[in-house]
This record gives sequence, C-alpha cells and structure tokens, in this order.
Amino acid sequence: MRITPGRLVPPTLGDPSAYAELRCEVREFLAEKRAAGAYTPTVDCWLSAWDEDFTWDLASRGWLGMTVPVEYGGHDRGYMERFVVTEELLAGGAPVAAHWIADRQIVPSLLKFGTEEQKREYLPGIARGEIFFGIGMSEPESGSDLASVRTVATRIDGGWLLNGSKVWTSGAHKAHAFIALVRTEPVDPDNRHAGLSQLLVDLDSPGVEIRPIVSMSGSHHFNEVFFSDVMVPDARVFGTLGDGWRQVTSELSYERSGPERFLSTFPLLAALTAHADVPNLGRLTARITGLHQMSCAVAGALNHGESADLAAAVVKVLGTSTEGDIAEAASLLTGDDVSDLAGAEWSALVSAGVDQRPGFTLRGGTSEILRGVIARGLGLR
Amino acid sequence: MTVIPGVDPDLSAMMHDVFADRPATGDGCADLDAGLWSELQRLGLTRLTGSEAGGGSGAGWREAAELLSAAASTAIRLPLAEHDLLAGSLLEQAGLQNDDRLRTVAVLNETGSARAVPWALTAQRLTVLWPTGDRWSLADVDVDAVYIEPGANLIGEPRDTVRLDLAALAGTEVDPTAVCHYLRTGALARAVQICAAMDRALALTIEHTTARVQFGRALARFQAVQHLIADIAAECALARAATEAAVCSAVRSGLTGDEAAFRVAVARSCAGHAASVVVRNAHQALGAIGTTREYPLHRYTRAAIAWRGEFGSTQQWDQRVAEAAALAGPDGLWELITE
Repeated sequence: MRITPGRLVPPTLGDPSAYAELRCEVREFLAEKRAAGAYTPTVDCWLSAWDEDFTWDLASRGWLGMTVPVEYGGHDRGYMERFVVTEELLAGGAPVAAHWIADRQIVPSLLKFGTEEQKREYLPGIARGEIFFGIGMSEPESGSDLASVRTVATRIDGGWLLNGSKVWTSGAHKAHAFIALVRTEPVDPDNRHAGLSQLLVDLDSPGVEIRPIVSMSGSHHFNEVFFSDVMVPDARVFGTLGDGWRQVTSELSYERSGPERFLSTFPLLAALTAHADVPNLGRLTARITGLHQMSCAVAGALNHGESADLAAAVVKVLGTSTEGDIAEAASLLTGDDVSDLAGAEWSALVSAGVDQRPGFTLRGGTSEILRGVIARGLGLR
Repeated sequence: MTVIPGVDPDLSAMMHDVFADRPATGDGCADLDAGLWSELQRLGLTRLTGSEAGGGSGAGWREAAELLSAAASTAIRLPLAEHDLLAGSLLEQAGLQNDDRLRTVAVLNETGSARAVPWALTAQRLTVLWPTGDRWSLADVDVDAVYIEPGANLIGEPRDTVRLDLAALAGTEVDPTAVCHYLRTGALARAVQICAAMDRALALTIEHTTARVQFGRALARFQAVQHLIADIAAECALARAATEAAVCSAVRSGLTGDEAAFRVAVARSCAGHAASVVVRNAHQALGAIGTTREYPLHRYTRAAIAWRGEFGSTQQWDQRVAEAAALAGPDGLWELITE
C-alpha cells in the first residue's frame, strides 16, 4: 500500500505585501516609541514586559481587541490583521505582556463561548486595555496531563464553590480575572475528559490568594493561585458545563501557531546581524523566515474558519526550538574578552535569552506532547 | 490534491499518471528513458513553461514545480528542469530559436570548460554561457562539437564535464543578470525536488514503522520512534513552506530582484538543513533494511542529499541569507523577512 500523508500545514499562498501598509504603521509607531525612550526591546516581551501605559497606547490606536465586533467595543477587523499587528509588536520586542493573554486567548474564547452578559462585561474593557487576564489551566499535580486537574467546583445555591489551586499563572498578581478549568463532576475512569468545566473567576474574589513564583533569573511573572471556598455565581460559568475539555482544546491552535512561538528572541537575532561572522546567522534567519511564512499560512486557515491543530503543533515545535537556538547562538558568541559584545544592553538581552529559553519549549504544550500530537496526525498512534 | 497549491487538478493528475506505473530509474546509472521522454513531449510537458508562440505549453512556475515533484516522488530521473526552466528560458530571453531537441545548460569558465553539467552527454544541444570580460555571451551548440567527459552525482544522474573551444564560438550577448537568474532558477528547481523526495521518505518511514512489529508491537507505537517521525514531518513542512513562498515569488516576479533572491536562498537553506534531519531520522527508523539497495528509501534520501549540493551548497545558501541579513542590519531584518 502506498501511503501519502496529507499536508500538515496549509499551503503558502498570496502576496506577502498584502498587509504592507498596516505593517508600516505599526513599525513607525514602534520606532517613535523607541526614539522617545518609551521602551527598550526585550527578549520574551509577551511574557515579561508588562507596561500598562504602552498597552493603553496600543488600545487607543485600535490594536487591541481587533477582532472584537464594534458592538462589544472592538474594531471588527480580521484575524489576519490582528496577526500582522502582533507579529510587528513581537519583532519590535515591545512590552505587550499586560494585555497579551486577554487579547490572544480570552477574546476568541469569549466570542465563541461567552454569554451576552459575559461579552458585555469583559470585551470592551479588554479592547480598551483596562482588563487583563491570566490562564487558569495547570495545577501543581497537572502539568502536561491537563485532564488530571483536581480543583473542584461544588454546586451551591446560585453558583459554585471553588477549592484547589492553579499554578504558572503569568501576571495573576496584576490581572483582573482568569478562566479556570475545574472539575464539576467526579472523575469517570472511562472518560477522564468528562466532567470538566470552565469558570470565569475574578481574581479579587474573597477566598482567592495569589503567591508569587520567582523565576531563576529573579524576575516575577508566574504565580500560584489558591482557592478557599471561592463563590462563583452561575452567571460566570463559561460555555457549557461539562464541556470544559473540548472548549480548552478547541482554542489551542490560536495559542500554538502564533508569532510568539518563534519571535520571542527576535531582538537578539536582529542584534546579531550587526556582528561579522556569526555562525548560523543564515540558517537561523532562514528558519525564522520559513516559520513566518508557515505561521502566516496557519493564520490564513484560521481566518477562514479551518481547523489547524496539527499545523499549530508543527509551528510550535519548530518555532520554540529555533527561538531557543537564537539565544544559544548569542550566548556562545558572548565572552568577557569580546569587546563589542560587552555592553549592558547586549548583556541584558543575552541573559534574558538563556534564562527564558527553557520555558519556550514547555509553555503552551511541551515539545514532547506536541510531537505526540503530530504523530497522531500522521496515524502513528 | 495537488502537491503545489494553485495547480489545475486535472493537469496535476495527468502529470502524476504519466509516472504512476513506471519503475524508478535504475540505481547507480540514470540513463534517459527515451520512450518516457517522447510520451512527455507528446503531452506537452517537456517544454511546459516555454511560450506558446515558441512551441512551449505556456504554463508557469507552479506547473513546472508540480511536474518536478511528480518525477521526484517516483524516483524517475529526467532532465525536466534543465530542458525547460533552464535551457528553454535562456534561449527565449536571448531571442534564440528553440525546438524539441533535448537541451541542457553549461556555464563555462574563461577557458571554456564546466564541471558537473547535468545531462550533457544525454542532450542533443548544449546552451552555453561564458564570460568575456564583464560581459556574458550565450550560444546554442550541437553536442557533437563539444568534448564531454561523463560523470555522475550521488544518485547516478549524469553530471558531466564539458570543454569547448571558445575561439570558435559565436555568441549573442546576454544581460549579466542572466547567469544569476539561471543559478536561482536551478536552485529553486532543486528545492522543489528535495521537498518531494523528503515527503516520499516520510511516507516510506510511516509505511515501514506501522507494519514492522518488534517486542510485540508496531515500531510506530514506540514514543521514541514517533518523535523521530514527527521531526521528519515538521522539517518537511518547514522546507515546503519556504519553497512554496519562493515559488509564489517566482510566479509574481519571474525570479528577478532581491526579494526573489532572498526567498530562494531561504528555501534552499531550509530544505538543505531539513534534509539533515529527514535523512538521519528516516534511516534510523527504518533500521538496516533502509540502507540496502533493495529497499527504496535510498532513492529519496540520497536524492535529497545529492540535490541539496547542486546549484550551490547549503552552506553557500546560508551565507547568502546571512549576507542579506547583515545588509538589512538590526533595523531592517524584519522588513527583509516580511517584504
């Protein structure tokens, strides 16, 4: 039998210059901001560079909540336009962490699963850059095996009582809310994906405690979030009770195929072009270019409402290893006797690169889990 | 579904059908299958991208890439790119007469010789380019007038050394960019072929590992094997994305200009490095059987290795990308990537 595996990634079509004007607009904005000293490009800016003034500025230009309908305070623009703007912001190393999760993940989820009341409650604030979100998925005992979550919501009159904890919640200490994946029914050993639900939890609710998890670099992005009898009203049940697993997994291609999966170290790659004879500069630049083309193709498919889970896994596996390789290449060039690579700015970028690198291939689905996803797509399991 | 997006499905089916039931070209010595070549000629596939006025089929880069993919994925070796995309387009650019005699191109040095000329001894006519000072000349000559020493690449495709007496040659002056354009065209053709060969290596790896049982289960059930294959698939997809972007650029601009040059360099860098992972992992997953002449994997893995070294090495294409990146500099790199 002759096996012909289908395409894993949608075809590259069209003219890259189609969004040139929008790209230019964002680039000029970033150049002005840098010239005014409003920000310095950083590595991993979408996780670690939290700047609410910058976020408000983006919102005032209509670059937040771009895909949100006007009636919910958004801008009714296409997913491709949002993609282009986020790519530009990441390539510029801009401080976008404050609104990143809300804009990337919560917006499409709210539009797909949110009630009218929830959409009116949160979307306008997200588009104005005033409401920030975290992610409430991982738990101390549930890392890659997300279906094993133990946080429990118990039925009470008018709502649910939440007990348990979530971990690795980026920005929880500054965010307003998150969507928690919780167990609303006991585990069914024959179907462990059943009985999971999503709840919208305001992080200032009584009974919520947020403790910092300090990263090895000394920086603080991650938190552990504890719930002790936190009351969540029925109106904050997100989507359908018991449908949490499907809801969580249906949005993964947005999270995994985006430009933050290959551009986390772009400011380092850009800086490397100023130095002579950088080993691998060509290979790494070519890979980032290929990944940009691939990620654009996935964005195009998502824009047409096509599913792209497998393609997203491919982008993430390749992209996160390449952005890590860029940090590595920069680190290998850096030494105490290399005078043109000894400045404070360079040193900060390289240190952030090597410190953040291990996270690249962990967050949002480890490379090992994603290789399993690809293998399943190829019919191997 | 077509291999190259945007190709007419009926045309694509016709291309793949021509090769479908034919055996792969003999290993070690790739003689031209004259019967197949006549059949392709009859179908209008040998001069696919030539203008209709000049006797070609008037198709474009996408169709040419589909045909190259169809041949590469059945391991049938033919001078398709050489005859049409390379010799045909050079003659057309120079305003010279073309016909159905089999052609290939040689870029000669000042002394009139060229190494590794594809299919020179097989061809009837040789389109030659040579430098005179800053200028380049082109002529279309009969192979009988040329000294040819046979050679071959890793998979036995003819790669011959040719020598001509330049003094006896009357040429038409061509634009100096014609040589660059020729190399870029050949490089992209090889990228397309590499992608098709790697996709076939992936398919054979899946076929084998899902059928072969060890320790009581199919090899594909082992996570370590799954990860080898997932990495093959990911690298194939990246090489294809980069190659498709270059083909799109070729359709838009005919491979002229800096943007096209960068796209081709990116495609060759991605395809060249993808081949490292694909070849290593496919052979690892196939075990010793995959290293034999009997098992067909080598027709695709060795082809990918052979082709990534033609029209420039992977290192040279990396260097081109690096030079473009250095020229763009820290403030221009992103624009270079997205233009």
